[in-house]
Amino acid sequence: MKRLSKLLILVMTLALIASACVSGTSETTTTPTTQAATTTTSGQATVTTTTAPAATTTAAAPVETIKIGAIHPLTGALAGAGTKMDNAAKMAVADINEAGGIASLGGAKLELLSADSTGAPEVGQAEAERLVGEGVVGLIGSYQSSVTTNVAAIAERSNVPLVIDVAVADSILQQGYKYSFRVQPNATAMGKYGAEFLNTVATAAGEPVTKVSYLHEESGFGTSVFEAFKAAAADYGIEVVAEIPYGAFTVTDLTTEMTQAAAPKPDVIVVTGYYNDGLLAARAAKDLAVDVKAIFGVANGAFDTPEFTADFAAGAEGFFDSNYHYNAASTKVADVRDRYQAQYGELMDTASVLAYQAVVVLADAIERAGSTDPTAIRDALSQTNLSDHLMAYPGPIKFNSAGENVNAQPVLMQVQNGAVQQVWPAELQESQPKYPAVSWK
Amino acid sequence: MNPVRIGSQDVRALVIVVILLALLPFFLSRFALTVATVALMFALMGTGWNMMGGYAGQFSFGHAAYFGIGAYTVAVLLTKYLLSPWVGLLIGGALAAVFGLVTGYLSFRYKLRGAYFALATFAFAEMLRLLASGSSFINKAIGIHIPLVGGDDWARFQFENTQRNSYFVILLLLALALAATVWMVRSRAGHYMVAIRDDEDAAAALGVDPLKYKLLAVALSGFFTALAGGFYVQYFLFIDPDLAFGALVSVQILLRPIVGGVGTIWGPLVGAGVLAVLGEGTRTLVRQPPAFLSFLQGVNGLDGMLFGAFLIVVIIFAPEGVVGVVRRIRTRMER
Repeated sequence: MKRLSKLLILVMTLALIASACVSGTSETTTTPTTQAATTTTSGQATVTTTTAPAATTTAAAPVETIKIGAIHPLTGALAGAGTKMDNAAKMAVADINEAGGIASLGGAKLELLSADSTGAPEVGQAEAERLVGEGVVGLIGSYQSSVTTNVAAIAERSNVPLVIDVAVADSILQQGYKYSFRVQPNATAMGKYGAEFLNTVATAAGEPVTKVSYLHEESGFGTSVFEAFKAAAADYGIEVVAEIPYGAFTVTDLTTEMTQAAAPKPDVIVVTGYYNDGLLAARAAKDLAVDVKAIFGVANGAFDTPEFTADFAAGAEGFFDSNYHYNAASTKVADVRDRYQAQYGELMDTASVLAYQAVVVLADAIERAGSTDPTAIRDALSQTNLSDHLMAYPGPIKFNSAGENVNAQPVLMQVQNGAVQQVWPAELQESQPKYPAVSWK
Repeated sequence: MNPVRIGSQDVRALVIVVILLALLPFFLSRFALTVATVALMFALMGTGWNMMGGYAGQFSFGHAAYFGIGAYTVAVLLTKYLLSPWVGLLIGGALAAVFGLVTGYLSFRYKLRGAYFALATFAFAEMLRLLASGSSFINKAIGIHIPLVGGDDWARFQFENTQRNSYFVILLLLALALAATVWMVRSRAGHYMVAIRDDEDAAAALGVDPLKYKLLAVALSGFFTALAGGFYVQYFLFIDPDLAFGALVSVQILLRPIVGGVGTIWGPLVGAGVLAVLGEGTRTLVRQPPAFLSFLQGVNGLDGMLFGAFLIVVIIFAPEGVVGVVRRIRTRMER
């Protein structure tokens, strides 16, 4: 009987694992062609490149649908942002299909396969594997740097291109990957331009900044932006007199941290973080009526959002944020945002505009490649020159050899009369920056 | 809890399970193989936890400490000193064991038991997380990237496209951990550990040195959990303080043995299998529901809710875990 029990345990374990493989194989049976594709890629990479174009030409019959994958956190702590981005990607696919699909492939339609990273790197990686197995020709994603890091590694190993919509860490593209491209500015650009904008605005107002305190969330995102800011600020003679990191997902109050930041009497307090903690920082600054000339966000998830001006009302007045942003002056952007709002009943934020943009960038590459071979699409992506985009960048979307968008640049925004306004650089200006600017003075 | 079972059938079962698991990759799709690989990784972490939490009865809520030490050791030795992860695994395991001995000694010396001990382990993990976040030697909170090498590289166990090899590596590590568990259960030391778990004072009265055997359990537990951390780094190619030492990691480590059966050899593996199937199953259900459930399509978060509901059911109806339930049914059948 003891032996029987052991056997029973064994059988159960196996049954469990077998059912796991059933759930996997059921997907491959629905798409029998992908199985072959995966086996070729699992062989030598060189074989893939030579056989794959042949396969597409022998297909000859017009391609009907082209699958692309989107990976975002649809559940968990970041579900709000992730779901919005997924909706935006869906809308981009619908828009492209409505406009006639991919012309170079006989008007083939795009199909978006959405995946939920749940915010966990291991789930994100498994989902990337699944999407590749289901035959996607390209991926977009995935909001968090840690998840994007894993997805980029899968993209590289599988020879399937990844267009990064949002993920700031420089390190993702410092691995020499050939299949990953980033639309948003990286951490270095965020920090560098943040320091430059602060210096420009303050100097123009005749009150140059010499001392700042820096409050930032403690993970890779906040730390890498801070490091870049500090390095660039030194060139303008701006000294960081206090660095105060905090845990964005555990913090419930930032009064102590804000007090510490104000203690060395800086000219400006700089803040990098996500939405909730950004709002806490802003509230603490107002409650303490900190004696500074400005609160200046760099890649701040709160200070340039419509929710911030609603949640924080009068207190928000004068807050700066140097961040990626959609081009507020473009009618095309206004059209996309209006339709998004009509369809999903909420304002379209910049992260979602970037998700929409990432799909467009990928579709543009498929169009130019005239092929569904992922390697051909990668090659087309590397030649991207998309001037008709939605972002507030000084030039077209163009990737350097590392996959960074060479024209990705943040803009400086400021809350003025309850609305977020683009105030710098001059060519994107909706109104003049006001400096010094805090509502409690 | 059930008494420890001794017998050569454990060894035989181990051989059979490992062989069967080794055959799996030849039947799995690429995606299913990824899921299975991660499941085995969790099984290894759970098996490590089980030695200390299951057999020696020292409930740890901070096993992320060992996991993180293993992960960071492999990452640092590889990126800074170009040392093969195989060596890194051993060193990481040894460091984790030493860390376990030191923190374990401090905790046991001051007679921390039950919830107090659990909190102490949690505090140690949190301490390491803060240390890692502040240390520029290991890149602070930004984390460490493992460079992707082209082609297959057994020395680094990085493989181009062939997820199968990674699976075999984790299976090997898991097999070692399971073998160690079987050895422990069958050895005198294992019996002492269980005696200490069941009644520490009684065991001490009978001449068993509780401190010695508790520390042995901690060291073994730390070693094998660190192996999982080392594998994690080579498989995911990235580590940061939260992924290594975060509270979520400690919870994930606990979950598998609890679902599978605490203090049983196969509990962590069965728990990892159940949770992997459940997690992927609910996710697939939401993604492609059968026709009569089509309203479920794309309902985000439903998979998480189903997962949570299942956990609650397990805890209410099968507090001894899946393996425990199987045993209960079997004893009933024997009557």
